[in-house]
Amino acid sequence: MALNPFFLQGSRSEQNLVQDLINEQLKIYGVEVTYIPRKMVRRQTILEEVQSSKFDDNFLLEAYLNNFDGYGGAGDIMTKFGVSVRDEVSLTISKERFEDFISPFLEDENDLEVELASRPREGDLVYFPLGQRLFEVKFVEHENPFYQLGKNYVYEIQCELFEYEDEVIDTSIDEIDKTVEDMGNIIKLQLFSTGTNASVTAHVGSGYVRQLFLNNDGSGYTSAPTITFSSPTGPDGTVVATGTTATAVAITTTRGGITSVEKVLLTNAGAGYTGSAPTITFTGGGGAGAAATCGINTDRRGVVRFSVSNGGVGYSTVPSIAIAAAPLTPTLRASGEAVVSAAGTISAVRIIDAGAGYQASAPTVTVGTAATVGVGTFWFNELVTGEESNTTARVRRWDTDTNILEVGIVTGRFFSGEQITGSKSTAAYDIQYVGGATTTLTDKYQQNDEIEDESDLILDFSESNPFGSY
Amino acid sequence: MLGNYFYHEIIRKTIIGFGTLFNGISIKHKDEQGQVISDQKVALAYGPAQKFLARIDQQANLNKAVQITLPRMSFEMTSLEYDSSRKAGVTQTFKSVSNSQMKKVYMPVPYNIGFQLNIFCKLNDDALQIIEQILPYFQPSFNITINLIDSIGEKRDVPIILNNISMQDDYEGDFSSRRALIYTLNFTAKTYLFGGIADSPEGLIKKVTVDTYSSTNTKTAKRQMRYVVTPKAKKDYNDDQTGDLTLTINDTETLIPVVDSSNFEVGNRIIIDNEIMYVESIPTSTQLYVERGYDSTVKATHLKNAVINLLTAADDALIEPDDDFGFNESFTYLGDSKAYSPTRQIDI
Repeated sequence: MALNPFFLQGSRSEQNLVQDLINEQLKIYGVEVTYIPRKMVRRQTILEEVQSSKFDDNFLLEAYLNNFDGYGGAGDIMTKFGVSVRDEVSLTISKERFEDFISPFLEDENDLEVELASRPREGDLVYFPLGQRLFEVKFVEHENPFYQLGKNYVYEIQCELFEYEDEVIDTSIDEIDKTVEDMGNIIKLQLFSTGTNASVTAHVGSGYVRQLFLNNDGSGYTSAPTITFSSPTGPDGTVVATGTTATAVAITTTRGGITSVEKVLLTNAGAGYTGSAPTITFTGGGGAGAAATCGINTDRRGVVRFSVSNGGVGYSTVPSIAIAAAPLTPTLRASGEAVVSAAGTISAVRIIDAGAGYQASAPTVTVGTAATVGVGTFWFNELVTGEESNTTARVRRWDTDTNILEVGIVTGRFFSGEQITGSKSTAAYDIQYVGGATTTLTDKYQQNDEIEDESDLILDFSESNPFGSY
Repeated sequence: MLGNYFYHEIIRKTIIGFGTLFNGISIKHKDEQGQVISDQKVALAYGPAQKFLARIDQQANLNKAVQITLPRMSFEMTSLEYDSSRKAGVTQTFKSVSNSQMKKVYMPVPYNIGFQLNIFCKLNDDALQIIEQILPYFQPSFNITINLIDSIGEKRDVPIILNNISMQDDYEGDFSSRRALIYTLNFTAKTYLFGGIADSPEGLIKKVTVDTYSSTNTKTAKRQMRYVVTPKAKKDYNDDQTGDLTLTINDTETLIPVVDSSNFEVGNRIIIDNEIMYVESIPTSTQLYVERGYDSTVKATHLKNAVINLLTAADDALIEPDDDFGFNESFTYLGDSKAYSPTRQIDI
């Protein structure tokens, strides 16, 4: 008989006693860590990799820190990929506590996302609050100590600092979620502040060019051609010295690689055109063939130009221009088109049709409201969606003073001018532009923008290279 | 002997040129339904850095919560090697003009710069996405045009050749070490290093004189003819404003109205707008007969009050390098036995 017959060598009650004692010890001497299980969003076969993961649960758990004199691992080292922190910890957690308080919740989860619920899994995260660091479970040792009284009571989990890529960390504990606030690929979006409407004044006059007709849109233009009107002439054909020569701009468009004039708009309808309609010439722009004629009005008043007294703020699209109806015969209402500057203000209003039948007092001009709603405050980690691009991203930082929104885990490209809406906060703003001083930042490691800026100064893109595209 | 200071930053420019090839690469991740859930630009940096700067930049608050963010690419210069296959004559020079100053430049020395691009990814799929976006461009070289020396406007095509690719995937072994996925691509950039650039004492050649002899033995033969050529201005430089048009002229009129024709002489070259005209005769005190479209210029309509400038030797003297100019030619019949001394600039 080899074993002592007066002991049971591992009865259930003995095992339970040991487990209880261990649980008690862990609660007294342990550290409160947060266990964050990995949920697989996409597992790739063949290459056998979890391509995307999310971490949106949290479980408080006591753990004994086996490293009593600092982190294990190689520490902070300089690599060719920048600074790498190779800290490691080893934690001991109670097997019973895990099975009782974490496993049941994991079993309720979607089987595709959580493949194994019964034990701590490699790949899960542990938040270590003392160092405020996210560790990834590298290995779970379940047989150390080795079968005391016929059973194992603890897991020893060996962890290494997490390598962050684009995983969603949304545990609802801000302290944890904000550890990756500045990590990964972050894009800055400059949003419009609350918009204010522009105000525009119309000026009326007589003997003016009422409307332009583009008869030939030409071709081969590299820039917009200049439009010149002949001087105003009276009924007898002499130049009206007191008149004003009309001015207009051409707007080009490119289709099928050919740039031509899309439309011509008056910037000033002129004065003194009481004889025949002026001739219109197109010069410059590198192309040829564009031709236009115009109709004039010799005896009524129409809108001859617009002046912008207040450009407004927050125009991301071209607003409508509504001009009051002409009260006198022939009651032809004028129409105009606004020009929106890059800064989101109305820089000018051009005349499409100068109308006819206005009185000496100028008609009122109503500019469409600034499209920007610009309401609300974005919440950290919520999803934001671009209305047109359908691109989504997660909010990392929102600066209410500068209206700069920093987002991470972006699914595509945001467009300037589109509205971006927060999924939880319902905050909605229009994007003025994407980027700014720096488009993206990753722990100040990446130099993509600096390299791009420097190379613009020295690389010659003007000469086509038959052996490469630069 | 060495030590004439010059620094064209050619190697730095080559490094930037190399780096810029890879600064727009991005990778995408999808969910089970195939929807893109992440589209990220791959961070790129020049690997070697000052250590203290790397630490204060990348680990400013000490408590870095994660080990590293991935994917990352780093590149570095690994070698400098003389390329004898592109060697040019050591005494060969070429001239370049900058700010009216002639520069004398010796032929550059061909050097091959070795570069290493390292790609560090968390997933093999990420690495493959990056690699596939790079490799098709190199067959095996890809050319970029770099403005190597701004002061002489020297642009050179620098081929960047992909030499080899190696990969490291440590997935075997115990679980105490993490899998590391690193692809290493080795490149050679064929660049040119320039020496110091001296201002040339020679200056621009503005006059050429050729004497012709009746026989190849110039000691006994007589000089027959001298041909001298100097640059002739095709635009006005001194803005002399010798006259104005008093009426608008079309592109065919040869009798042009001026304020005072006594300011002009028969044989003058005048320029109105961009058209050069040759004064053939002066019939009245306010008119000139001219030959239109002289010196291959385009005949055009000129408006009333257009300025008439004279093209004279004063304009010829002001011609700048790179300007469009013609030639004044003169022939002299000599028939003597003298020779021209270039140093004394007389016939002796």
